[in-house]
Amino acid sequence: MLFKALLLVLAIIQISAEEYDTAILPEAYIDAAERSTHTNNWAVLVDASRFWFNYRHVANVLSIYRSVKRLGIPDSQIILMIADDMACNARNPRPGQVYNNANQHINVYGDDVEVDYRGYEVTVENFVRLLTGRTQNGTARSKKLLSDAGSNVLIYLTGHGGDGFLKFQDSEEITSQELADGIQQMWEKKRYNELFFMVDTCQAASLYEKFISPNVLAVASSLVGEDSLSHHVDPSIGVYMIDRYTYYALEFLEKVQPFSKRTIGEFLQVCPKRVCISTVGVRKDLYRRDPMKVPIIDFFGAIRPTRVSTGRINVTLANEEDFTDVAHIQPKKQFKIVVQPQFIAKINK
Amino acid sequence: MVCYSNKTLTVPANFCLPNGLWKQEPVKMGLLSDPSISTHNKLVDSLAKHMRKLCYVFYTAGVVWFMCLALPEFNHGTYLSENALSPGLVYPEIRIDSNRLALQLLEELQRERKEHQSTTPHAWILGKFNEFGLETYIHNYTLRYPFGGGKEFHGKNIYGILRAPRIGSTEGIVFSAPYRPPSSVHDDISASVPVLLTFAEFARRKNYWAKDLVFLVTEQEQLGMQAWLEAYHDGDKKYDTSSSYLVPGNLPARAGALQAAVNIEVEDLEIDYVDVKIEGLNGKLPNLDMFNLVQRIMAREGVTSGYKQAPRKKRRTNYSTYEQNLRQMLAMLSAQTSGVPSGNHGLFHRYRIDALTISAAKRVTNSNVKSNPSSAAVPFLKAIEGISRSLNNLLERFHQSFFFYLIVHNDRYVSIGDYMPALVALIACGFVKAYLIWSTLDAPEHTSQQDADTNPPAVYLKLTLPYGSVLIYLTVSVVIGYMGNVLPLQKYLISLPIGAGPLTVAMLMAINLAGFALPFFLVLPFGGLELLHISLLLIYSCALIVIGLLNFALGFFVAVLSMPMIVALDPNTTNVTLRGLARLWTLLLNPVVVIYAVVLVLTFYQFPELAFQQLLLRAATAAMDAVTFALIDSVIYGNWLYFVACTVFFPLWIACWTLALGRRGDNTISKTKLKTN
Repeated sequence: MLFKALLLVLAIIQISAEEYDTAILPEAYIDAAERSTHTNNWAVLVDASRFWFNYRHVANVLSIYRSVKRLGIPDSQIILMIADDMACNARNPRPGQVYNNANQHINVYGDDVEVDYRGYEVTVENFVRLLTGRTQNGTARSKKLLSDAGSNVLIYLTGHGGDGFLKFQDSEEITSQELADGIQQMWEKKRYNELFFMVDTCQAASLYEKFISPNVLAVASSLVGEDSLSHHVDPSIGVYMIDRYTYYALEFLEKVQPFSKRTIGEFLQVCPKRVCISTVGVRKDLYRRDPMKVPIIDFFGAIRPTRVSTGRINVTLANEEDFTDVAHIQPKKQFKIVVQPQFIAKINK
Repeated sequence: MVCYSNKTLTVPANFCLPNGLWKQEPVKMGLLSDPSISTHNKLVDSLAKHMRKLCYVFYTAGVVWFMCLALPEFNHGTYLSENALSPGLVYPEIRIDSNRLALQLLEELQRERKEHQSTTPHAWILGKFNEFGLETYIHNYTLRYPFGGGKEFHGKNIYGILRAPRIGSTEGIVFSAPYRPPSSVHDDISASVPVLLTFAEFARRKNYWAKDLVFLVTEQEQLGMQAWLEAYHDGDKKYDTSSSYLVPGNLPARAGALQAAVNIEVEDLEIDYVDVKIEGLNGKLPNLDMFNLVQRIMAREGVTSGYKQAPRKKRRTNYSTYEQNLRQMLAMLSAQTSGVPSGNHGLFHRYRIDALTISAAKRVTNSNVKSNPSSAAVPFLKAIEGISRSLNNLLERFHQSFFFYLIVHNDRYVSIGDYMPALVALIACGFVKAYLIWSTLDAPEHTSQQDADTNPPAVYLKLTLPYGSVLIYLTVSVVIGYMGNVLPLQKYLISLPIGAGPLTVAMLMAINLAGFALPFFLVLPFGGLELLHISLLLIYSCALIVIGLLNFALGFFVAVLSMPMIVALDPNTTNVTLRGLARLWTLLLNPVVVIYAVVLVLTFYQFPELAFQQLLLRAATAAMDAVTFALIDSVIYGNWLYFVACTVFFPLWIACWTLALGRRGDNTISKTKLKTN
């Protein structure tokens, strides 16, 4: 606890770059540090569909991967699930490369992509196990979401969806209820501090409808009954490159730098209907803070700006109760656990 | 009737029992033959009175339904169901230099053709394939011609495989071009091979192939293709080839499971329009997605293309849309009826490989459209590139869209669900009539009560019908018909010094005579005609439904032609003129007569300048050839038209003829027969 306190003292969010005098930190800094329970960042990025003609979904997920990695989340804290290998598909005229733009400015496959779940490993079961931390014995550390109560988690899903489900691999679906249950379990197991849920599929808004867990901010590329559309075709490859919502999201994220003051509220306004054709859906009712005041790097980055302070500062650490509505939390029922011996030893005697 | 005299069923063994005995209680029997479930009811009785009218209503409904399919309300616009194809998303990369190469290759080939008047310039083609860097192989095959004393013909196909650079050779696409020597009677399509080679040269330089591309040049029309396909699929299997007519041999190399095939026939590099041929063996069609794909990409490249596309001049017609649609549908059905493929693509269908022929017609020289010969073929080459890239995108075989459809217009189709009701309505007549005859068999002809008392109840009549005799009769007819399949191929007959045509026709005539004479020799006992009538209706209807499912065109045309006759047939009619008409009608519908009539009509359209007598003679020789070709098609390619005509239609005709003659056994004789049965 002492160590954590020290860290917090040192790691204080910088709001303004103008103030260089660090002898005495402004009240706002200390206040923010005291109130924040956010210590680390994780990202779960999922492309749930396979096949060459779904190239764009891989480009989508790799675009977000590129952004979060650029903004500071290390590969060890990014769980990347990609259901098909577009870079090495025999039909790809540019082997080993995936672009998100016909101009081929950005090779989103890059040089160092770490895919944690690939091909047929991308299943609903693995995804739910990953979220809830119920991975099977022997699962590699890189395939686990080792987040804690201080983690801000970004979940990004893309693929083919319908009203209330997202298709995985052409063979199974995850329903919105399963997703909501998974996230509720994450909350109960203290696996996140705040969660940003982002989804780019058709009828994407249906996926966050069933959420009940606190501190979840959700954004979807289209409302129920709407299709999410692709942005453009690369005629030299012969496939759709990227989906509209992710394209504009990436356009926004490309301008964000690690010390940016852009807020998540601005990000939620990305891709207006004029360019997106579908309506971007946002769910804020579970989220406690005002998104316009939350920096975007709270979810997309992991860089905690540090400033050495020589003075002595008193910080009272925040507790969980400060952020949850205590009145509404029901006390846990008391129950007694009785352990029955599996083998009755007396019989043997 | 032995089986009915067991314990569960006690039927009076003798019909001549005193009348009083008939009034005994009905005996319990099996469910199906339980007399307490009487088929007699008022509805059936009243329907039976209007049986013929009812049947004609069904018939008309079927024909009207079919005619309606040409209306835009009854057909649908085509669309692509297979996502993977993603047609037209790529910019074609074939440039004008490919056209230059094609021109140069065509010139070279023309020079070669001067030296090879009736053979294929194998060395030149082989050299070009090698030059372009393909794995090149030769495939040899042998045809043991069944007629004319066992001559042997040898053929050679050349094929080159372009291996997919970054994936295992598990799947392949075939691009084929038939080669015709200058001496061939068919249209000159010498530009096909240069176009194929040009595309191969282009494809060789690309790295995005996910399937092996097979470039195949076949000779001797469909025979070469059939041999290559057989060798590709079964060539490595060890089986006795001594009795087979086509010995395909084996292939030195393969390219995985073939997913699709495009056959290219090009008359000239200056292309006027493209005719897409789809009809395959036994009326099978490629998946509708494949046809739509070709249409979509041809339209994108600005090439006029369509199903049964005609030259510009002929395209200007005064027909209404409806009439055009109907003509298109009928043209498609008539092309499918014979089951003969309209191009080399048709043989692929047998192996469940979707294939079609892109047949490019030469631009007429006096056309007012100016074209630059140095770039004339570029749009066509681009279209082939586009098609190949879409096929390359396939993840599994074509399966999303329809396999059974009619093309109403280039962008409109009728699916099997919409056209089958027409056939079902036509065939329903047969089932309805069979049921009504069966249920009115026991209806006493004398309606008064006293007569009913004096006649035996018909339940017993049904039981005593001569089932065995009718079964034997039908079997004999089928055997006679089946002889048509077997006899012309017998070794001792083939070795006779007569041509294949006269031999086959002589055999068929002999069989026909046997069928014609059968009712005079074998007379069915009492009740046999009625039973034969019911069996005929049931077998005929079932057979047509099955044939219609496999080859709608054949089933539909046969039903349209023969159903009125089948409905009109009534062995009990007393009207002499009606009976005479029925006999004449039946004779006209004899399979041999029908074949002759069809050939006559075709000959008339092809040679309208011939005098009537010449026409008849010419049609006779043409019909002879047609029959022989049908037989050869059936033994070499597996076309089942000949088999169906001999083994299904002809026995049914014999049954019809028997009913039309209406010769029935003597009552007294039949009674004794029944007793002993």
